[in-house]
Amino acid sequence: TGAHLGHTSLNIDSLRDLARKELVNVLDSDHGVENIYHLQPGPLETEHRNLIYICRPQVNYMKYIADTIHRHVNDHAGTYRYSLFFVPRRTAVCEKVLEDEGVFGDITMGEYHLDLIPLEDDLLSLEWDSTFKELYLDRDTTSIYYAAKALMRLQGIYGWFPRILGKGDYSKALCDMMLRMRREMAVDDLDVSQTTQMSQNIDSLIIIDRSVDLVTPLCTQLTYEGLIDEIFHIKNSFVEVDASLVSTAPAPTTSGSVSGSGSVSGSGTVPGKKKKVSLNGGDKLFSELRDLNFAVVGGLLNKVAKRINADYEERHNAKTMPQIRQFISKMGGLAAEHQSLRLHTSLAEQIMDYTMTDDFNKILEVQQNVVAGIATNKEPDYIEEMINKQVPLVQVLRLLCLYSLVNNGLKPKQYEFFSREILEVYGYEHIQTLENLRRLGMFTKQVTTKNSYNLVRRSLSLIVDEVNEHAPNDISYVYSGYAPLSVRLVQCVVYRGKDGKQAGSGGKGPGLPGGNGWKGFEEVLRMLPGRTFDEKQRVDDGQTIHSKRSNGQPPISLVFFLGGCTFTEVSATRFLASQDRGQRDFVICTTQILNGSTLIDSLVQKVPDPRTTA
Amino acid sequence: LTLIESFQLKDTAQRIDMMKEAGKLYDKEHTFEAKAVEDAIRLIQVQAQLEKEYGELFTGLSISSTVYKLITINQSTRANKVRSDFKMPDKRFWWIKLRALVEIRDWEGVAAF
Repeated sequence: TGAHLGHTSLNIDSLRDLARKELVNVLDSDHGVENIYHLQPGPLETEHRNLIYICRPQVNYMKYIADTIHRHVNDHAGTYRYSLFFVPRRTAVCEKVLEDEGVFGDITMGEYHLDLIPLEDDLLSLEWDSTFKELYLDRDTTSIYYAAKALMRLQGIYGWFPRILGKGDYSKALCDMMLRMRREMAVDDLDVSQTTQMSQNIDSLIIIDRSVDLVTPLCTQLTYEGLIDEIFHIKNSFVEVDASLVSTAPAPTTSGSVSGSGSVSGSGTVPGKKKKVSLNGGDKLFSELRDLNFAVVGGLLNKVAKRINADYEERHNAKTMPQIRQFISKMGGLAAEHQSLRLHTSLAEQIMDYTMTDDFNKILEVQQNVVAGIATNKEPDYIEEMINKQVPLVQVLRLLCLYSLVNNGLKPKQYEFFSREILEVYGYEHIQTLENLRRLGMFTKQVTTKNSYNLVRRSLSLIVDEVNEHAPNDISYVYSGYAPLSVRLVQCVVYRGKDGKQAGSGGKGPGLPGGNGWKGFEEVLRMLPGRTFDEKQRVDDGQTIHSKRSNGQPPISLVFFLGGCTFTEVSATRFLASQDRGQRDFVICTTQILNGSTLIDSLVQKVPDPRTTA
Repeated sequence: LTLIESFQLKDTAQRIDMMKEAGKLYDKEHTFEAKAVEDAIRLIQVQAQLEKEYGELFTGLSISSTVYKLITINQSTRANKVRSDFKMPDKRFWWIKLRALVEIRDWEGVAAF
């Protein structure tokens, strides 16, 4: 197992290097940083006179900074020097705030172009948490601009992507913006635009808009990493767990995300009993486990435990000096493995406790029935029961939205009933929450009885009855039977199966370049929201799409999930890469990692408690 | 939106005014929302009344939480009144009552079901 993990032929390092170099440039002016503080409200306790802020261009951060400066001015005027770097770009709004606060002139400003952060070798993320809400609810397209900029940078490093395909209106907008940026570049900077070659490795970019597939993130993720995220919330590839789970020695992981990015970074111990643990491909055991269905994780952990034990036992066999020396040299690695085994065993135990609960299983059962389109009356009843038990609103909405999406809306009577229930149980401020969900089409009244989800489900065979979680043969293993629509679409376009069923078994050959693209799937795609597109990029000297690769490495498809993707979708995409004996690699880009709860949560209307603000 | 602003106001009277304002903004298409705003106003009024009577905080709670809290402070009759005022479905009321009784360890009350 695990052979397919991580090692794509795309050299992410060059991207990492670029990010690192820029950070050095940014910090260079100050010759060494002595302390790193987290940006937060309130006074900043520091005796240093040179302050560098690195943060997202958000208004509240500007307020904090201005606040600090005001405080300092009162104390001892003029002795401080401030620098501020926006990640990834400065915005007029932020500058305006600083101006209004009267501190604009006190700050040296710059930009730190850290856009796509490599979480793994095959997973890049903008880590822009609010993208989904901004894009689809507020219709704020800033993040498309960031995404386009980031992709242009990628093209600057790796060459033009020969082909850009996608689905969804915002995907189209992103693609158009990239093409326009390229044209603008040709005008502004002829040299660069001409010297940039067609990409040797990346032969296609596939953009999938989150609005195309809202069903998937609402389902409970059943892979190991997905479940960790559902229960503990993985943030920037760190997870906070009880300190007792991890012993005092630091986790043996060094690679991973570029640290030191101000508001994003910081892995130090947190006050209280929580401890941050980094989870990434540097942990060998984790990289074996992460994409597996949780059902098999226990068995595998057991096997690994036995092996480690056997390795320890080997010391008895070490008789001669060279043997002993060999064993000692292995010891370090063994201890590290032991450490990570202990972490994952306790994580798995906690997840197990959670997955054994009645509530979890009941929710899961309802979910599975809903996505499989097995209509009974039990599902609404169960949701009603959840409301009556006052389980957290996010959970209720997650299931309710799933039900509404799959059934193309609720019957008017049902819709009003649930709306009323939610308002009366969770408070009237959620009039707005429901309005948000309605605008996104996630919780709606039924207008027609035509059910597009059912048609899509059938033609793309999203439901696979026989799932072998131990030796998966289809991406549906990640949800124990439901194949994430988004990844199925990627599969369709890359392996040109004639229809969904064949796409499931994987096409022959590496597919793409001159390939059919969306051909054969037009009908299904029409049922999904948003436009479909397929653009080809060329270099001016008439050079067309490369059919052969100079370095003999498998071609790479860049998959961009606009509006976020789940860990499960990442796993499913990795699984695609592992099929067909590595004829094609995938690198996943996304605006942020999300799951159903974080998605819904961003849409829930929050009201400051009058008692706490009083 | 005026409605959201209204939730942030501390003063009850101001909140009600603001909400009435907000309620008017919903046109005929949004009868449900308009009705909900009316209910919300009514709830705040009831809660203000309760606060005067029992000296406990009620504002900011939902209908269910209000009923729940009433039962936990042994005011079942008042709870019943709120329940009928807002036409709460029986099923939900019994759930609330059960949980509330367990919370205050009123096992006799539980047994009386």
